[in-house]
Amino acid sequence: MKLSQKAVWRLLQVSSAFVIVGLALEIVSLLWFHPLSFVLFAFVAASLIGLGVLVYLASVVFAGASSADTRN
Amino acid sequence: MIAILICQIALSIALASVFLIRPALTAATGWKMVAFVGLCVLPALCLVGGMNTHVQRSEQTRFCVSCHVMIPYGQSLYVDDPNSIPAQHFQNHRVPAEMACHSCHADYTLYGPLNDKMQGLKRIYMQYVSTPPDPAAIRIPGGFKNAQCLHCHLGARSFQENPVHAALIDSLKSNQLSCLSSGCHDTAHEIADQSHEKFWKPVQ
Repeated sequence: MKLSQKAVWRLLQVSSAFVIVGLALEIVSLLWFHPLSFVLFAFVAASLIGLGVLVYLASVVFAGASSADTRN
Repeated sequence: MIAILICQIALSIALASVFLIRPALTAATGWKMVAFVGLCVLPALCLVGGMNTHVQRSEQTRFCVSCHVMIPYGQSLYVDDPNSIPAQHFQNHRVPAEMACHSCHADYTLYGPLNDKMQGLKRIYMQYVSTPPDPAAIRIPGGFKNAQCLHCHLGARSFQENPVHAALIDSLKSNQLSCLSSGCHDTAHEIADQSHEKFWKPVQ
């Protein structure tokens, strides 16, 4: 699959946004001593961070594919 | 410990912000490495650290009694009654006071902590989505297992030298006879009416 460099950068921005929001929610969950803080961390923050990491890895894969296509 | 984790999270947020604002930086090889650390390695470490912190926190007594229905159970730890098993364990530090609930109510098995967390999520669902139960009506599914007591007491001198324990040890190990509900140690969390109880006030 070919992606332009701009599209890869867009993926990086999306990944960064997910990671930032996820990490911010993790901080909230750590400072909030409440039974729901575990739910906030496990279901919302962890999902967003995981999604961000996955989008970043996808951007690396697609960036690698597009640069290999360019060489060929 | 939490402060270190929050610093790590802040660093991770700072790095991720760089790539949110200037993704074009990753055109350079050095920045590619920074992006890998900032968007993959550090967030993963923050996740592991966060999970570890939350699991440890959920084992604390004050976490357990932060749920409304658990408040009377927390109060029952301070009952001034030498026959109350939980109160005596808590007040005399036979279990760590800050982990009193978890010491007796966690399964000491490979998947015990995981099962506890799943049970905890079920209780959170009941608290916030379904109908929270009456505290006095809460029962442990399958009853309180002797393994929770024997985990600490088995092999202890005072336990082994007690002739009643020695005579019943096989029945206790196989759970045929309950430590709590067979008439021996049957005072545990009598929360239905605590208004007449005297409470121990620890010296601050």
